[in-house]
Amino acid sequence: MKLYDQIFDIVKQFKKLFAPGPVTNADVSGIVTAEIFLIVSLVLSAILLRHVSVLLAGLVTLILTIVLISNIPLIPKFKIEQDDSLEKMLFYAIVTLAILGVFLYWGGNLV
Amino acid sequence: MNELIPLMVIVPLMAALLISAFSRFNTVTKIFAFVVAICLPIIPIASNYGLHYFGGYEPMLDNVTNVMFHPAITYSFTFLQQIFIAMVGLLTFLVIFIYLTEYKEVSGPYLFLLFLGTAAVTAMLLTDDIFHMFVFFEILALAQVGIVAASSISYSNEMALKYMILGSIGSPMMLLGIGFLLAMTGSVNITDIAAAVHNGLVDITSPVFLMSLALIFFGWLYASGLPPFHTIKSGIYSKAEPHGAALLQSFTVISMISIVLVMFRIYSTLPIFEVLIVFFSILAMILGVSLALTQTDFRRMIGFLAVGELGFIGLGIGLGTQYSITAGLFQALNEITITALLFIGFGAIVNATNEVDTRKLGGLLAYHPKVSIMLLIGGLAMAGVPPLSGFQSKLMLVQASLSCGYPEISILAIVVSIATFVVFVKTYYSMFLKPKPEDLDVEHKEVPRAMIFAMGILLIIVIAFGVYPDVVTDGIANFVGGIL
Repeated sequence: MKLYDQIFDIVKQFKKLFAPGPVTNADVSGIVTAEIFLIVSLVLSAILLRHVSVLLAGLVTLILTIVLISNIPLIPKFKIEQDDSLEKMLFYAIVTLAILGVFLYWGGNLV
Repeated sequence: MNELIPLMVIVPLMAALLISAFSRFNTVTKIFAFVVAICLPIIPIASNYGLHYFGGYEPMLDNVTNVMFHPAITYSFTFLQQIFIAMVGLLTFLVIFIYLTEYKEVSGPYLFLLFLGTAAVTAMLLTDDIFHMFVFFEILALAQVGIVAASSISYSNEMALKYMILGSIGSPMMLLGIGFLLAMTGSVNITDIAAAVHNGLVDITSPVFLMSLALIFFGWLYASGLPPFHTIKSGIYSKAEPHGAALLQSFTVISMISIVLVMFRIYSTLPIFEVLIVFFSILAMILGVSLALTQTDFRRMIGFLAVGELGFIGLGIGLGTQYSITAGLFQALNEITITALLFIGFGAIVNATNEVDTRKLGGLLAYHPKVSIMLLIGGLAMAGVPPLSGFQSKLMLVQASLSCGYPEISILAIVVSIATFVVFVKTYYSMFLKPKPEDLDVEHKEVPRAMIFAMGILLIIVIAFGVYPDVVTDGIANFVGGIL
């Protein structure tokens, strides 16, 4: 029952995403799929690190899986960060530019 | 017939200017716009492959170094340019046809923006001059902002302004990167720059060269709508008129491939270049599809799906083999047609219901069976269901990543396709199959015939490319073999 309650709590949190409109079964199914899809795809992507180092890939995959599963529901947090706010868009654009610049300029042998 | 090469840009550009100047003559404007729009897909089909040197300045051979220099702005026209320019020309024709039949009084400035955008993407595909490409990249950005701002949908102006503000970061960075390249090589001709890099005349480990990659790459992310620009890109699609959004997404795809092919020619010697492309493409696939799953506005949902599909194109190019790049470019061609089909089809639904929230829709299969069936096939093509075109390109991408030794990417591509299928089935069920809500007022008016016609043409292409992919992939593979 504990797991059931946990999942039910998560579904209740989804309601906030659709406020003020009603929440339909299709919407909840979509969000649950998105949640599973996000975890699976991020873990799959982390396995790609095996081309750098197998040990690193194993560690990152394990840590990422634990972090993602222990933090569900991810989608509400995720969606808040991806809204139409200009400040957030600018923030992420500048952070990406800075990371790209720093990584390529000081990347050394990695580049 | 090589004189036709510059006409591919000049015709829409002149049409844009003339329509803008004489827009008060409504009937003449309509006839003129229609005739020019018909010419757009015909010119690339009628033209021979070759090069065009503006001003007639032919390449010069340096007898000391035995290197060829290109003093003129050069347009290069091959099968790849032909197929993409013909496709965007056809789409422009369909969009203008829908627009002309939808309104009695047409807007000259709006038609100006549509033709200007088409001219800009055509020039970006043709040019072998990186600064020339940047100029048209800027013109394209302004045309896109104008197309969104001209829409009657609420908050369209705000979204257009946000896109312009973000562009004010992306574009100057790209220009700065081009400036670094010019400083290192003394040329803006892409062939000359690539020759200098591959012949060892430029130190590829130099920080200036690496910074130029970072800056141009950032500009490419903005042009393509890959993360961190995926939110604004899907936003502008959802705020443009549906036919405008169909054209906007084709502009995005073409600017994406034209810039990435230029970067590929210059930076492919750097292993990090392909890693960066694959990283951002995977991010786009994950973000695009997971956010599409959470949408209740179906226009925004397609916007995010379109961003996710861009990831497939990037993936093909990032893997860097002849087969994978061919698959990526074929996927680009398919995305242009499939997404345009979906935007126009869902636009027909907005036209009939004035509603975009899937929670408030339902039972539309009984009212619009033709549109619903065409949308169903379009959605299945996007998800990669055989024998449609999306299936062929996605299968090629899966095979390419397997043969490159990245089974994880193949699995990820399949998972993303399944999630895309879920998004489409969910939306299709909500709009067409579930019982009609009592408070939904469906206007008993027919979907405009121009929209049905446009969807029919796009559907034929989707099925034809699915059944006979070799018609396109052989020519693309030859082009890719030439740049590798």
